[in-house]
Formats: sequence, C-alpha cells, structure tokens
Amino acid sequence: MRLRPERGLGLVLRFILALVVLVFFLFPIYWLAIISFKTPDEIFSFPPVWWPEAIQFANYAVLFKDGDVETIGNSLFIAGASTLVATLLGTMCAYSIARFRTGGNMFSDWIISNRMIPPIVIVFPIFLLFVALGLVDTYIGLIMLYTAFNLPYVIWMMRGYIQDVPVELEEAALVDGLTRFEVFRKVVLPMVRGGLFATAVFTFVFAWNEFIFALVLTRNEVTTFPVQVTHYFGGQSNLWAKIAAMSVLGTVPIFIVVAFLQRFLVRGISLGAVKG
Amino acid sequence: MSQLEITGLRKHYGSFEALKGIDLSVPEGEFCVFVGPSGCGKSTLLRTIAGLEESSHGTIAIDGEVVNDLRPRDRNIAMVFQNYALYPYLSVFENIAFGLRARRVADAEVNRRVGEAAEMLGITPLLDRQPRQLSGGQRQRVAIGRAVVRDARLFLFDEPLSNLDAQLRDGMRAEIKRLHGEIGKTTIYVTHDQIEAMTLADRIVLLREGRIEQEGAPLDMFERPRTRFVAGFLGSPQMNFLPVEAGADGLVLADGQRLPRPLNASGATGSLVLGVRPEHFSRAGEPVAGEGRLDILVDLVQPTGTRTYAQFRVGAQEVTAELPAHSVEAPGARLALAVDMARVSLFDADGIALR
Amino acid sequence: MNANADPLAVGGGAPPKRARRRSPDRAFRYYMIAPAVFVILLIGLFPVIYTALKSVQNVNMFDMDTSYQGFIHYKALMSDTRFWLALAHTLIFVVVALPAELALGLAMAYLFVDRMPGRPVFVTLLVLPVLVSPIVAGATWRLMLDNRYGPINQILGWIAGEEVTLLWLVDPNLVYPAIIIAEIWQWTPFMFLLLWAALSNVDQSQVEAAELDGASWWRTFRLVVLPAIWPVVAIAVLIRALDLFRLFDVIWALTKGGPGTMTETISIYAYVLGFQQFETSYTAAMAFVIIVLLAVTVTIVLRRIEIDR
Repeated sequence: MRLRPERGLGLVLRFILALVVLVFFLFPIYWLAIISFKTPDEIFSFPPVWWPEAIQFANYAVLFKDGDVETIGNSLFIAGASTLVATLLGTMCAYSIARFRTGGNMFSDWIISNRMIPPIVIVFPIFLLFVALGLVDTYIGLIMLYTAFNLPYVIWMMRGYIQDVPVELEEAALVDGLTRFEVFRKVVLPMVRGGLFATAVFTFVFAWNEFIFALVLTRNEVTTFPVQVTHYFGGQSNLWAKIAAMSVLGTVPIFIVVAFLQRFLVRGISLGAVKG
Repeated sequence: MSQLEITGLRKHYGSFEALKGIDLSVPEGEFCVFVGPSGCGKSTLLRTIAGLEESSHGTIAIDGEVVNDLRPRDRNIAMVFQNYALYPYLSVFENIAFGLRARRVADAEVNRRVGEAAEMLGITPLLDRQPRQLSGGQRQRVAIGRAVVRDARLFLFDEPLSNLDAQLRDGMRAEIKRLHGEIGKTTIYVTHDQIEAMTLADRIVLLREGRIEQEGAPLDMFERPRTRFVAGFLGSPQMNFLPVEAGADGLVLADGQRLPRPLNASGATGSLVLGVRPEHFSRAGEPVAGEGRLDILVDLVQPTGTRTYAQFRVGAQEVTAELPAHSVEAPGARLALAVDMARVSLFDADGIALR
Repeated sequence: MNANADPLAVGGGAPPKRARRRSPDRAFRYYMIAPAVFVILLIGLFPVIYTALKSVQNVNMFDMDTSYQGFIHYKALMSDTRFWLALAHTLIFVVVALPAELALGLAMAYLFVDRMPGRPVFVTLLVLPVLVSPIVAGATWRLMLDNRYGPINQILGWIAGEEVTLLWLVDPNLVYPAIIIAEIWQWTPFMFLLLWAALSNVDQSQVEAAELDGASWWRTFRLVVLPAIWPVVAIAVLIRALDLFRLFDVIWALTKGGPGTMTETISIYAYVLGFQQFETSYTAAMAFVIIVLLAVTVTIVLRRIEIDR
C-alpha cells in the first residue's frame, strides 16, 4: 500500500526509525524486568546499572517464601472464574441479539453504555451493597462484579462475531432437524470459536489487570496482584525489588496468552470497530 | 414421496407484502421450478415452505397435513442452499451425515446412507476432506448429498447453481435432472435463470411481484405465454415486442410495413403489441401472398458461431433476429425477413395474450 | 402481528395455532438474554439508582440520616473548588494526552503501513504496553523516573553533560509531564494498532486513482484516506477519551494525586471522599453528576459516529 508521501522515507530510514520507536516502547518493560533480577546493591547504585553482573532470582524467591505469590493465584482464580461465566452468559445473550435483534438498538446501546460507566462510580454503591451482604473480601463477590463488568464487552464482541456467521448455516441446520438451542451449540459456537477464545482472553486480561474494584472490595483474603503491587509503594522508600518481581510475574502470563491471538488483537481491543 | 398443497398463502414484512395470495398444488414426484426476476417472492415462497419464514395467511400442507405450525425440523424436508451452507469445521462425511445425526440415526445406518449418497454423487473419495479443500462444483455435490441422504418428504433447492461458473453449471444441471429421475422425490427448485427453469422443470411456476403470473409445462409456457411478461421472461435472446395497429386485414408496424394477422389471434383491433421471438425470423425467399415479410436494414451483427444475431430497427424499436451463421456478414445489409406468423403472439395494451 | 386481519384471508384456521408456534422461538430469545441482563442490571442499574437515592440523603461517617434532604449536596458540589479543580485536572489529561496519542499513533501507523522486514515482530512487540496492567505501568514509570536510581535522569544527564536530579513525581512543574508520558507510553500503541489496521484496509485502488488524477499527497490523505479511516479514528478517540476521563490507576501508582491535590482527578477525588472521608451522600452526588455528564456526552458522540451495530 502506497499511502506515504511520494518522496517517502527510504526503507533503511524507516527501519531505523522503527527501531527507535520500538526501543522507546520496550525499554520501560526491559527496565522493570531487569530490576527484578538485580541485587539490592545494583538496584540502589548510582548511576543506575543497565545490566546486572549476574541474573539472580532472590527477589522472586522472597515473594514465594513470604506467600506474596498467592495474590497471583487469587487473580488467576477470580479472573478465570469470572471470564468463564461472562463468556458463557454473554455469548448466549449475543446470539439472541445478533439473530433476533432482541430488544432492538436501544438494548444494544444500553448494554455497551454499561461498559462506559467509570468504575469509581459503580464501586461506591457496590461497596455498600457488599458490606451489607458480607461479600467484601470474598472470591464470590469479586467474581460476580468482574462478570457483570465484562459482560457488555463479551456481548458486544460476540454479537459481531456471530453476525459474521452465514445465516444459511443455521437455516440448513434447522431444516436438518436441530432445535434453536442445538443450532447455537452445534453450529454457531463452532463457527465462532476463534472469536470466542479471543474474547475470553481479553475478558481475562481486563479482570486480571483491574485495580479499583479490587482495591476497594478486598482486604487481606483475596488481594489481587495489582493491589499487592501497590502495597510495596512507600512514601520515600519503595520496595523496588518486590515491585519489579511481582509486576513481572503478573505480566508475563498476559504476554504469552495474547501472543497467540495476533489475528484477533485489533478487533478485540477496538471493541470490534476494526475487523483487522 | 409427497405432494404439496398451498392455499391462499400471504406473507407480509411490515407493510410490504412479499406474497400476495399463492395457490399452488405440486403433485407427488414432480420437479417444480419457481422462477422470476429478483424480488418476485420466489425465495420467500420457498423459505416459507421450509418453515424458515412464517406465513401471514393461508396454509401449506404436505401430504394433506398442514405444516404451518411445525418447526422446520418437524416438517421433514431437505434443502440445498445457494452458498451450499457447508459446516467448515466438519468433514465432508459429517456434513452429509449432519441431518441424520440430528435425528439420532444409528451409526451403521449413517455409514450406509452417506456411502450410498456419496456413491450416487461421485464424491466418495472426498468424504474425509474439509469443505475448504473442495472446488465449487464439489461443494455443490456435498450440499446435494446432505439433502438426498435424508429420507425427506420434499427437496427444496434455493438457486443452487448460481455460485458456479457457466461450464460447471451446465454439468450440474444435467446431474440434478438425472438425480431427480433416480430418486423421484417431489422437488421444488428456485432460480432466476430461465434456461435452468426450462431444462429442469416438469412444471414452471413463474412469479411476479408476489403472485403467480403463470404456471405450466415449460414448452407450453414458452409457446403459449399468457402475458407479455411471461413471453419476455422465457427465451433468450428475449422476444421482440413491436407496437402494431391491428385492422381487419392485417397489422401495421411503426415504420408502415404490414404483416398479416397471426393465425391464432382473436379478432381484436386497435393498438396492440406483437411478440416475435428472434428465431421466428428467417431469410425470405420469393414473396408469397399472405406471408409475413419485413424489409430491414441490419445495423448490428453478433455472430455466436452456431447462429448469428442480426439487429435492426422497426420505427424506434430495436429488434433481434436469429439467423443461420454467415447469413449476414456486416451491418448495412438490406435483407428481406420472413416472419413465422403461426408462432408469434399478440398482446393487448394490458399485456394479456390474445388467443 | 395479526392486528390488521385480512378479510380476504383464505384457508383460515391458522391464527390461533400460530400463536403457539411463535412462542418457542420468542421464548428462546428471551431465555438466552435473561441471565446476562440480570447480572448487568446489578452494575448497570442498581448502582445508578442507589447513587441517586443516597445523593439526596445525608449519610456520612458520623451521621446515618436517610431522610430526604433535597439537593444540598449538589449545591455544595457546585461550590466545591476541589471538585472543579479535579475536573480541570482530568480534562487536562484528556486534552493533552489524547491528541498526543492520536498524532503519535497515526505517525507510527504510517511508518509501518508499508512492508518492512520484521514488521509482524515490530507490531507484536509494540502492542505489549497496552496489555500491561495500568498499575504495573505506573510502577514501571515510578522506577524509570526515580530522581536518583531511574534511567531517565541518567539519560538526561548524558545529554546535558552534568548530573540531573529532576524530582519528576514531586516537582509541581514535572508531575503532569511525568503522568502524561506514562499514559502516552501505555496507550499510543493502542491508537497505533487501530489506525494501522484501518490504514491497511484503505481501498488501494482509490488511492491509486487519486494519484493518477494528480492529487497531492495531502489531498489524497484528506479526501481518500481520512474519510476511509474516520470511523476507526472516532472509535479510538471515544474509547481513549472515556478511559482518560476515569483516569485512576496510573496516577494512583505514580502520585496518588499529589503533590497535595495537584494531580487529583475526579476518580481519585471520589475515592478519597468515599473511602477515606466516608462522605457517602456527597460522593453519591458527585458520582451521579459524573454519570449524567458521561451519559450525555456519549449519547451525543455515539449518535454522530454510528458505531457498527
């Protein structure tokens, strides 16, 4: 595609520029990672050390020994469970909307508008509700909240993927003898499995990275990893080794999972606006 | 083996009326083709029979049983879709077996029936493939296989050949006709292609704006169209329509030339439309009394190899004549053409054929 | 649907049965949405109603007065300088970070729209910041910007030729640049990815036709490329604007709104009010104002850009 100016940048120049851009965006991640492998002396040396003498894992060992990694387990369980429920309920709802236009445009607009409410606005009444119901600092409370918060996203995305399924496939199945629900299960779900998987992963990432709800609604029992990271912040002295190691532990899984989703990446983060 | 009976069928989409009262009876084993221009309601009618659309009024009965209220799965019909509707995640075998599995047919029976269907369609070597590995023609066969494997009461085809290229289409058309001969199931076939309709049908049902314009045996409709619309729809190149002034002694064309009255037309006079198919023209010999004869100036020649189409004007009207190859070589030629007055049609101002 | 019964209806007898026939499909579509709707109502409706309710009472840490108090909190809010400042801070982030992300993202999209060796690898790696938890992003920049042990001051020192010890997260002149750099770092790749995909989808024959017609690069961009990518630009800007409007995590990680209340956004202020000062009703009033503000804005914007529905 020749969209660039006619006297465009040469390939070499563009490549060099691309490398510069890449360095800007990756260096902070590198810095975070490298700190997690440094000794305290190296972390607090002046001028800063860009490459430690030896890669050592003592910072991680401390997290495991003190049980801080349990917060990763909490995040895994909460994000996983809420993703499962949200994906299931959301896909069912999306099918109804995509195929029968249930509720019309108003209903669709209302659903997506729920996605746009700032969490701080929701979290306040929810907190009071959870206090009343005894759900503060419980798995079930956070799972419910993340499910509800991610449902609009799942519905919105899956509606798009389901609309891409040729309606004749469903009609053929109806004529061949399936019930509506069987059509959903045996025709629609297999047809959208790629998009379904991608949507589930993004849902998981949102829940995994979420902070405000977790900050307000957890205490000590079900602390999630982002909240745990903030526990290492101090006024003057940060627990830098722990911040870095914990952050790396909480980031690597996301990088790995999303690496498999190249094809769905753009569509997933653009709320389906770009089909990529 | 079943017969289909449709009475007073209407279908509204909001204020739009897609079907305006269809009465139709398709006897057992018949190959019935719904044909018409796009938007005429032929697909809607087919989908209503399948149960994919609900009717607003009227009844659909298969073997005397009213099926209006049955879900598609309970009507026991098989349908072949225009874009094949193959499940991309299933093998060819499983695609064909899909309807049987949905009805919980035993494995041995599934194997037997899918095997038979594949054999019949010549796709046995493809059974383990995925649909995306197949060519268009092969996909079409699989789609047909999925229908024939079922012991359905009716076969419905929704423009099954329109996604194929011309050569394949001719082959598949013959194949579908052969299949119908072997299986003998009542079949309803929707197409917009009049050649498919003519070649396949036991009976053509020509729809126009939600109504049946005419139904009947293909050649019967071709030779004795009831309306100008039917005459124009069937046949390619299209029938020529020439405005004429009809008197007791003959027809006067727009350019003043005269033709005798057609033999089969009633005694109507006044402004009428004469329908002449391109093949009703021929090179004229010596003038004979009472013969239809036109002197023309050819302004366009289109040779097809087997035949040559010559175009000329009568008044403002462009007319096509189908002549033997090499009978005209270049525009500008002056010719005398004979018109076969025994086969032409005459229509009144409302487009109704005069008999 | 049978309201206008047709007197010409033939072969009747169908209508009563039809009602029964319709019900399975109709019921099915509502069964399918019911569970999801129920759960969404929990966050979509309950909090809004509850917030509206509490905002006209007078509940705080010391008082559980649930009687109707009228609009006292809304009145107080209107004269609350800290609220207006928080709103102003929030808008600063929106109007500075958003155009910067858009411009940088578009430039990057152009950089990568033509083929280049290793392009898929570049694109994959460039997306990584988007996936990082905002808290981690904040933590990362906290490490980056540390006045003594962070590499930013070190690099600036190399350029300046002398030791640089800028207090990025304390100095009133530097906190905004610091937060905005972190935001730009994390979200420019988001803009880039969307715009890159949109640019790649521009109909090349249109671009070529414009070139053949002798249109300048700028004219081609304005008349062919921009209209083609406009819907994506609109969506990307909308998503990011909403994100920036509720900015919380990164600031929480970097400054917690400080120094003083210099970088306090409305989300941070609401948090402080609700969960540190327990001004329940006052926070509710503020939350409700935010909801209304957003609802109005988003509705207007959505009507204009017609997102894919």
